[in-house]
Amino acid sequence: MFNFLGTMLRHQWLRRLLLPLLLVTTICANRLLFALSTASDSQESSNLTYHSSVSEVRLVFFATDEHNRPVEALQQDDVAVIDNETVIRDFRSFGPAALVKLDVTVLMDFSESVLPQLQQEITNVLQLIAQWPWNPTDNVSVLSFSGTEVHLLCTGDCRSWFTADRVASSARGGPTPLFDAIDTARNLLNQRAGQPEVWPVIILFSDGDDTISKASLREVLEKILANGVQVYAIDVNNPEQPSNGTATLQKIADDSGGRRIRLGEGALRILNDVIADLHSARVVTYVLPESNSDFHSIRMLPTRDLSLQFRSRRGYYITRPTLIRRTVP
Amino acid sequence: MKRSLSLVFLFCSLPGLPAAQISIYQHGTVVRMHMGDCVLAPRGFMMAFGAPAGPPSQDSCPEYTLVSNTVVFVIVGKSSTQLIPLTETIDFRLQKNELAVRVDDARRETKFTIKDMITRSEWDRIQRHIDERMRTTEVHEAER
Repeated sequence: MFNFLGTMLRHQWLRRLLLPLLLVTTICANRLLFALSTASDSQESSNLTYHSSVSEVRLVFFATDEHNRPVEALQQDDVAVIDNETVIRDFRSFGPAALVKLDVTVLMDFSESVLPQLQQEITNVLQLIAQWPWNPTDNVSVLSFSGTEVHLLCTGDCRSWFTADRVASSARGGPTPLFDAIDTARNLLNQRAGQPEVWPVIILFSDGDDTISKASLREVLEKILANGVQVYAIDVNNPEQPSNGTATLQKIADDSGGRRIRLGEGALRILNDVIADLHSARVVTYVLPESNSDFHSIRMLPTRDLSLQFRSRRGYYITRPTLIRRTVP
Repeated sequence: MKRSLSLVFLFCSLPGLPAAQISIYQHGTVVRMHMGDCVLAPRGFMMAFGAPAGPPSQDSCPEYTLVSNTVVFVIVGKSSTQLIPLTETIDFRLQKNELAVRVDDARRETKFTIKDMITRSEWDRIQRHIDERMRTTEVHEAER
C-alpha cells in the first residue's frame, strides 16, 4: 500500500490530485469515527441522570434619577448589587419586569387613634379603587383592623363590592393590631405568590402605632421579605408632628421596597406612584452568593452615574438547599 | 540602521498607548462593600496629648474591599454619602496615607482612609480557606 502511494506521489500530476484527496478523506474519516463513537456513547449516557441545582436570586427594583423620575435607558452594567457585602456585577438576566397581574390588599386602620382622619381615609380608598385602571387578571381585597381583629370587607373583586355603605357598617375604635393586620394581608397575598408575573402589594392606611398585636414588627418584616410583598404606607399622621408611627411606616415601606406617602397628598398621588412603579419595574437575577447566613441583605448601587437611585426590598431569606446526589441506575 | 529604526518606531508609538497604562493610577476592583463605623481610632501624638475626642458619630460610613494585582485594601469613607461607582475597574493612587479614588473619569478624586492592607497572595489564600470551609459546612448541613 505504502509502495503504491510512494510510486504515485513521485509523479507530479498525480501528487497534485492525490494530496487534496487525502486531506479531505482524513478529515471525513475523523468526523465519521467521532460520529460512530458518540452514537454508542449516547446509548450509554441515556441511562444516566444528571441533576444540578443553581440557586438564583430574583430581585425586582426601581431606578430613578436625582429628580426622582424613572430612568428609562438603564443598562445591565449601570448597576451593581451588594448581596451580604459581596459586590455582584455578573447577572444571569436583566430587563423590564413583566408584572402583569396585580394582587393588591388595601389595609384600613379603623382604630381609636385614627378616628379623626377616618373620613379622609375612607374617601381616599374609595377614590383609589374607583380610579384604578384595573386589568381583568388583577385582584383587589380590602381589610380593616381595629380592637383585636382584622375584618375582611371584600376580597378578589372589590371594584364592584366595595361601597361606602359597606365601610360604614364595619367595626371601629379600640386598640391598633397593625402588625397582625399586615400579617393577615400578607397571608392573603401569599395564596397567589410564587408566580413571577404577579406583583403582591399592600396599600396600608395607618398612623403606624401598633398597640395590641401578637406579632412583632420584626416577625412581620421577615415574612414580608420572605414573600416579596411590597408595602405602600399611607401615613395618616400630622406631618408637622413627627411620631414613632411615621418611623415605623417608613421602615416597613423601605424594607419592602415600597414608599411612604402622606395621606394629605391624596389618592391620585398614591395611584400615580404605584402605577409608575408598575411600569418602571425591572428585574435582575443572579446566582446566589455563598454565605452561611440565612438572611441576605441587599443594596443596589450605581457603577458609573452616582446620581442614580435604586429602590428594592432590603433583603431576602434563603432555605438551605439539600445536597443532590448523582445517581446512576 | 535597523536597530535605530526600530527604536525610533518604538519612541513614536509610545504616545499612542492608552493614557491609563502610563498614568499615576493603579487599578483595582471593589469586591465587597458594607456600611460600618465611621470613626477610626486616633493614633500617636494626637491620641496622647490632643484634645478629648467628641462623642462617637452615629452615622455609618461605606467600607470597601479593593483588590489590586499586588495588594488588597480595606478603605473607609468619611461620611455615609461618600460612595464610589462600583464599576468593574477603578483607578486609585496612594496619597499621604490615604487612598484617592478617581471618579467621573478623572474629573475628581475622592479620598478614603486605609483601614487595613494585606498582600494579594495572602488574601487569595484566605479566600480559598473560607470557600473550603463553607463548602464543608453546606455538605454537613445537607447530610443531617
